[in-house]
Amino acid sequence: MQVTRRAFTVGALVAAAGSMSVMVKAEGNKTVALLFDSLVSPFWVSGIEIMREKAKAKGWTTLENISNFDDNKQFEQVKAMISRKVDGILIIQTDAKAVIPAIRAANAANIPMVHFNRPPAKSDAYSVAIQADNRKIMQDTVNFMVSQAKQMGGKYKACILIGDLGDVNAIQRRDGFFDVVNKNKDIIDVVARIATEWNADKAFAGLTNAIQANPDINFLVTSSDFLHPQIEQVLKAANKWHKKGEAGHVLFGGFDGDEGAYARLQDGYLDACGVQNLFLEVDMAFGAFEDLWAGKKPDKLLLDPGFVITQDDLMAKRDQMWGYTVWKKMQKG
Amino acid sequence: MNGRNTKLFVLRNTPVLLFLVLLAAFGLMSDRFLTIGNFVNIVIQAAHIGIIAIGMTFVLLIGGIDLSVGANMYVVASVLGLFLKDLPLPVSFPLATLLGLAFGAVNGWIVTRLRVAAFITTLSTLFVGRGIALYFSGNKMVGFTPQILALGRASYFGVPSAIWAFAAVFAAAYVTLSQTTFGRQLYAVGADPDAAGKAGIDVRRIVFSVYCIAGVCAAIGGLVSLSQVAVASSTFGLQKEFPVIAATVLGGTSLFGGRGGVLGTVFGAVLIQTVENGLVMTNADPYLYPLVISVIIFIAVFVDSSRTSILERLERRQIRVERA
Repeated sequence: MQVTRRAFTVGALVAAAGSMSVMVKAEGNKTVALLFDSLVSPFWVSGIEIMREKAKAKGWTTLENISNFDDNKQFEQVKAMISRKVDGILIIQTDAKAVIPAIRAANAANIPMVHFNRPPAKSDAYSVAIQADNRKIMQDTVNFMVSQAKQMGGKYKACILIGDLGDVNAIQRRDGFFDVVNKNKDIIDVVARIATEWNADKAFAGLTNAIQANPDINFLVTSSDFLHPQIEQVLKAANKWHKKGEAGHVLFGGFDGDEGAYARLQDGYLDACGVQNLFLEVDMAFGAFEDLWAGKKPDKLLLDPGFVITQDDLMAKRDQMWGYTVWKKMQKG
Repeated sequence: MNGRNTKLFVLRNTPVLLFLVLLAAFGLMSDRFLTIGNFVNIVIQAAHIGIIAIGMTFVLLIGGIDLSVGANMYVVASVLGLFLKDLPLPVSFPLATLLGLAFGAVNGWIVTRLRVAAFITTLSTLFVGRGIALYFSGNKMVGFTPQILALGRASYFGVPSAIWAFAAVFAAAYVTLSQTTFGRQLYAVGADPDAAGKAGIDVRRIVFSVYCIAGVCAAIGGLVSLSQVAVASSTFGLQKEFPVIAATVLGGTSLFGGRGGVLGTVFGAVLIQTVENGLVMTNADPYLYPLVISVIIFIAVFVDSSRTSILERLERRQIRVERA
């Protein structure tokens, strides 16, 4: 069969248009695995909800799995997702080192892996991690509390609720706290460091013991807002749950920026909160996937600068606080 | 006291001696440790572990084990927080306790009727229970009504509600074990189930009952805990079986059945909480917590495993054959 030049040109144009549409469709039809280790706090619950919404808006399909703090189970979940030939794996691992074999498996299958909010330990395996600048955000939060303490005058007995000592976020937040209080030893004396292991039960018992040992604790920082209900319960039992400006108020700082933190800031019990910008972190994670699919190689660690919100600037900043969005939904629902 | 008597004394009273050493050590490090207020605080925090450990004592006394107590707590908490929250407490709490009883009854039924080893049965129901609770809660935190939280902070006649619950469960368990036929039969089954069966004791009924008791105690312990911590997240009750079994063994109940009692269990629960309290009171390095707690639990379990044989050897009568 002889092909004329005109027929060839038309055919080539049709083929090109067809392949373009296939490419556009392929962009929209990405399948991304969302592998969480738990939904133990509002931060993770809101995180997965924002991811679902944003993925849907992009026309992506999401496959979800939760490992309940089991590293081995999560590795199996990664292998299952690789077998399903997903286009990307977003993972929140429990242990920074235990996830490395999973990264290697994803690398071998040429599937991009993005760590959400918790970076892996250093290795030669390649993946991208999105993380809040925990140390800096905590420093800013505690700095604000110290400035309040200086304004009010007097000496302060401080207590910190530390997270899981195997979690890099918990360590960075603890370090951010000590960076500031160690420079202000003249007015702040840290009398209790409570290892909560991100466990409400341990946080409750630890704080109760700390208040028993030091009934004059008046400066309290938690490494996560999800421990607020236990803190409220303990402080109420000790008759120390008072609003800012009331006698006996405990200077109280939080971290995360969840709906409970928003409510307590609004009610006057919480003085400052280091907010992780959850919306930005999801955008950064999905942006990293798009870059990786486009053949780019983003940095291994991308930082969310976060911000501090206080009772003074609550109205001005609350729209950036993810907990405020959740709080508004709860008020409607 | 000669060397043999000293050894006997130390072996019989190892947990008490350990407790005294800890009291002295923490008391020297913190001037607020040895106070009435702190002791009350320790008992409040030991209450939920102690209540569950009392149930575990019944199970260990017959030579069984229940690894599912933490899962039972989580199921009860999830159902209470999600489905029973609108009911008044005098209705919702008994219903939640009945749920715990049902959980224990499933364990008992599998162990006695299907003749599956208790370890395997309760390990399975641990996973099934947590799975059910995770399904109900959607993996999210479950909150409770202000009435439940107020109950957790309440005191009656100057005694906190958690201590009342602990005391009531202890009294019921103590009377059951020491004053009833059921209690005597339970010890007999634990010491030698074959002999107990030959003596006319319905061994299956006793075994089934102790798993039901453990289920009820796990539910009550869960209710006490949730009224204190205010929420039940997916870690609620997680790995609770370890401190519970440790408290029971620390209190002198044998892992092999037939020996022990609930008075010792209360002591064991208080001892474990004393360690945790002392570490916080002395502002110890948080990295030390698991190390210190696990060393103490190891000592307790090691002493239990070696105590029986050493005691038998030391208490054996020496018969001297006179030469003609």
